[in-house]
Amino acid sequence: MRIERRSFGKKALRGLALTAGTLAISGMVNAVHAQNAAPVRIGVPTSMQLQVGRDTITAIKMAVDEVNAKGGVLGRKFEYVAADETENPETGISAIKKLTADEKVDLLIGGYTSGVTLAQLPHISAAKTLYLGVGAASPAITAKVKQDYDNYKYIFRVGPINAAHQARALVDYISNFVIGELGYKQIAIVGENAKWVQDLVPVLSKGAKDVGAEIKLSELFDTQTSDFSPLMAKVKSSGAQYMIVVLSHASSDVFAKQWYDAQVPVPYGGIDVKSMDGDFFSRIGGKSISEVAGNFAVRAPLTPKTIPFFDEFKKRSANYPVYTAFFAYDSVHIYADAVKRAGSFDTDKVIKELEKTKHVGVVGEITFDETHDVQTGKGKANLIFAQWQDKGERAVIYPKELRTGNFMLPPWVKR
Amino acid sequence: MDARAFPGLDRLSTASGLLALGALGALPIFFPGKYLTGVLTVAAIYGLWAVSWDFMSGLTGRENFGHSLFIGVGAYAAGFMNVKLGFGPWWSLPSAMLVAMAFGLVLGIPTLRLKGPYFALAMLSAAVIMQRLMLIFWEETGGEEGIQDITPLIKDHLHYYWFVLALLGASTVSLAALARSRWGLILRAIRGDEATCLAAGLPITRYKIVSLMISAAFAGLGGALYAHYQLQVSPQLFAVVTSITIITMVYVGGIGTIYGAAGGALLLTIMTEGLRQVGEWRLMAYSVMLILIIFFLPSGIIAPSWQRLRKSLGGTDRGLVGGGPAG
Amino acid sequence: MIYGAVTSAIYALLAVGFTLIFGVARVLNLAHGSFYALGAYGTYLLASVAGWPLWIAATVAVASVAVFGVAVERIIIRPLRHSQLGVLMITLAVSLIVEQALFLSFGSEYRNVPAFVETKVNLAGVDVGGQRLLAFVLAFLAIGLLYAFIQRTRLGSAILAIAQDAEAAKYMGIPSDRIFSLVMAISAALAALAGVLAGPFLSVQPSMHLLPIVKAFAIVVVGGLGSIAGSIAAAFMLGYAETVVAYLVNGSWTEIVSVLATLLMLIVRPAGIFGKRAAF
Repeated sequence: MRIERRSFGKKALRGLALTAGTLAISGMVNAVHAQNAAPVRIGVPTSMQLQVGRDTITAIKMAVDEVNAKGGVLGRKFEYVAADETENPETGISAIKKLTADEKVDLLIGGYTSGVTLAQLPHISAAKTLYLGVGAASPAITAKVKQDYDNYKYIFRVGPINAAHQARALVDYISNFVIGELGYKQIAIVGENAKWVQDLVPVLSKGAKDVGAEIKLSELFDTQTSDFSPLMAKVKSSGAQYMIVVLSHASSDVFAKQWYDAQVPVPYGGIDVKSMDGDFFSRIGGKSISEVAGNFAVRAPLTPKTIPFFDEFKKRSANYPVYTAFFAYDSVHIYADAVKRAGSFDTDKVIKELEKTKHVGVVGEITFDETHDVQTGKGKANLIFAQWQDKGERAVIYPKELRTGNFMLPPWVKR
Repeated sequence: MDARAFPGLDRLSTASGLLALGALGALPIFFPGKYLTGVLTVAAIYGLWAVSWDFMSGLTGRENFGHSLFIGVGAYAAGFMNVKLGFGPWWSLPSAMLVAMAFGLVLGIPTLRLKGPYFALAMLSAAVIMQRLMLIFWEETGGEEGIQDITPLIKDHLHYYWFVLALLGASTVSLAALARSRWGLILRAIRGDEATCLAAGLPITRYKIVSLMISAAFAGLGGALYAHYQLQVSPQLFAVVTSITIITMVYVGGIGTIYGAAGGALLLTIMTEGLRQVGEWRLMAYSVMLILIIFFLPSGIIAPSWQRLRKSLGGTDRGLVGGGPAG
Repeated sequence: MIYGAVTSAIYALLAVGFTLIFGVARVLNLAHGSFYALGAYGTYLLASVAGWPLWIAATVAVASVAVFGVAVERIIIRPLRHSQLGVLMITLAVSLIVEQALFLSFGSEYRNVPAFVETKVNLAGVDVGGQRLLAFVLAFLAIGLLYAFIQRTRLGSAILAIAQDAEAAKYMGIPSDRIFSLVMAISAALAALAGVLAGPFLSVQPSMHLLPIVKAFAIVVVGGLGSIAGSIAAAFMLGYAETVVAYLVNGSWTEIVSVLATLLMLIVRPAGIFGKRAAF
């Protein structure tokens, strides 16, 4: 018997050869890029199928155009490449791998699902690439910065304010508005069973009790739930007067529709990411009427940049931006400024400058605490509560200083 | 090489097998970069899963639509051992195998004595239940996001790849050997005609259960390897899609041949990475491919090609084991 | 509770179609869930996107899915009819293709289908959306019509004959192949109807086919493969069990209810409650 030189399976060999060829060619193409005035490549891992993802990309493009219009930074222009992390850790990890190992980006801006970001962290750290988060709220993400600075110093959160901060903002809303102005003490807390909510609800419950609320019901439901009728029935029979929701990935559309159809006599509000979409009201036939949802910005002069940002964004995308857009836009500029101050693109030097950031962005002044987490407070990033009213108009209800309209009850609830 | 030591492995097979392994191992040296190594590592792990599926389902014709369950429990076992219980990463491998085998036993006993597609559907249901349970007990299992921060087994990507590749090679060889031994003969007889086997006095249920356990063990091993590569585990591992992908790979390779499954896994993983531009269409492509293969190439691509090659080189014709889905 | 009734009715529609095609043609159609999804998406497409009136959109959607079902049966299933596992595999592949196609065409987000009825009704102190009530009524009607069809008409008798003994039926001159296609059309239409009715209050998304198929299988196993009465009874049992579990415990456990029921029934009594013999 002769020893065979060819490997098993001609087809397998052909397949391998083809792949090898493709990789070789793309390797050569990449090599052409690796010259002196090479552009700065921004990797954007985000949920491209969702509004939060699309708006992240639009905002980054906007900022990149602005930076390039001024000639770039230190002689280099910016460009970006996006990868879909969906809402699933597996896909998220491969998005990071694709961006860092294959596309060889210089930094990453993006993120949405906390669980996905957490899964990506070790791979980001291994790739020693800067990561500016714009969508995920779990405090666990930035906690690592303090626990293991050397490995995780690359991680920053530009937005949103983390789940604990959001919980406290909700407590303020409950205390000053729900109890203070509406007089409702009995509340129900309903949220999706995702990491950021698991982080948020304990802080919320305790805070709410401290300000005098009675929590009649607190339940987390599976994110995939599509039939909320048992849940709504539970809320109604619990005697709650107001329902605080904490939703992001769950089907807020279905939730609102079912709430409206069953004419549940309990008004609701809270944090509802999908409700931030400009077309939320219209795409469900107006059934979210009277829902109050937290937003990070509305088209009002929170800072000198707010209104110009909203208008320019609307021109490019035909809808008003959701929260990830504000922070993505700011991230690009924050990075550019940090590089300018550092005088170099060296990651460690840029990190030192990033830590000192004091940037007036779209929603307020952006600064980081010692765990690279965005801070909240007067003049900084804050939650603003706006209500869906007739014809799809949104009126800011809380905080009082920014109020633009009067609160309304659901049409079927009598005072 | 003494042909009797490893039933079924003559010089030709051994040489080409070693050559293939060598070529695969050498690829990242010629084309360095973490990306390629990563793709090949995942391909090798899929190979492990495909080989384990083929051993049980390919030989007995009892197609297991819930193979992802064994993968998932192996991976979660690794996650638990490493993160929640604090054991070093090397403990994951044996624990994953044991846990998966336990599941194989527990699930196999009630379902393997049922006839027809009941086994397939019962396993499918079981995988769906496991996925649900991971979500329900989110406080212990991390829910949708799973368990993070698993320690890598071998930090260097290249070395880890070689390690996984070696395991794939060893598993393929041992399972193939088992398949060609008396054991495999009995399994194939079960595929052919259970009634006759029963009449002949063979304890077929026991054989079926044990082969399911073996299949589970290797799947669980792959799951643990995957966990230490991804550095996290999530309920996605239990998805139906994973089972379907593996089944497609086995069909492409040639059902029942064991080495075909490994080849199919490698081929398909590399091909789809090469076609990454059409990334969204990937699952669609798999499903279409599966349908086409079942219709037109029920014996797969790799195994028949290899058999033809062997014949043309003067080797003995091994014939093919599979022939498409069993009745 | 009233909700349980509505959920059960939808499940019943799905299960009856599933058991029908199985009882008659011995086909375990894992793409059944896809018919459900396509019914819902079809209505969405025609009503929300193309702007057709809702009733017309729904009818056209159901009809098209029925045609699609026949096509699947003829082209894909028939050649493999001798191998049950082959059919399983192929229909599973078809369901994945449909899911991917929907995903690629419509994206992964939930879409909204306008409801047929917008009012709210209060039944025995429980608030029910009008749409849900309509779903219940229509489902009831559909199943009732089907039952009458099978029991009363000649075609129906032919179907029953084939279900009992396919060989004998052929000898009697009953055109079994054509009957199979007809049954598939009915089965697919029922599933699509379920999708159309459920769409407005559950919204549509590409992977919506998976859970219904698991539930349909559960119901059919518990009720007895091939028994329509069994499917209806089991549908109600499971529907109520789920609602009760969701109310008393937590929504997350509902999916497990049906799958656990399947496993247990398979282990204990594969024939199901009403089945005369184990199907295999």
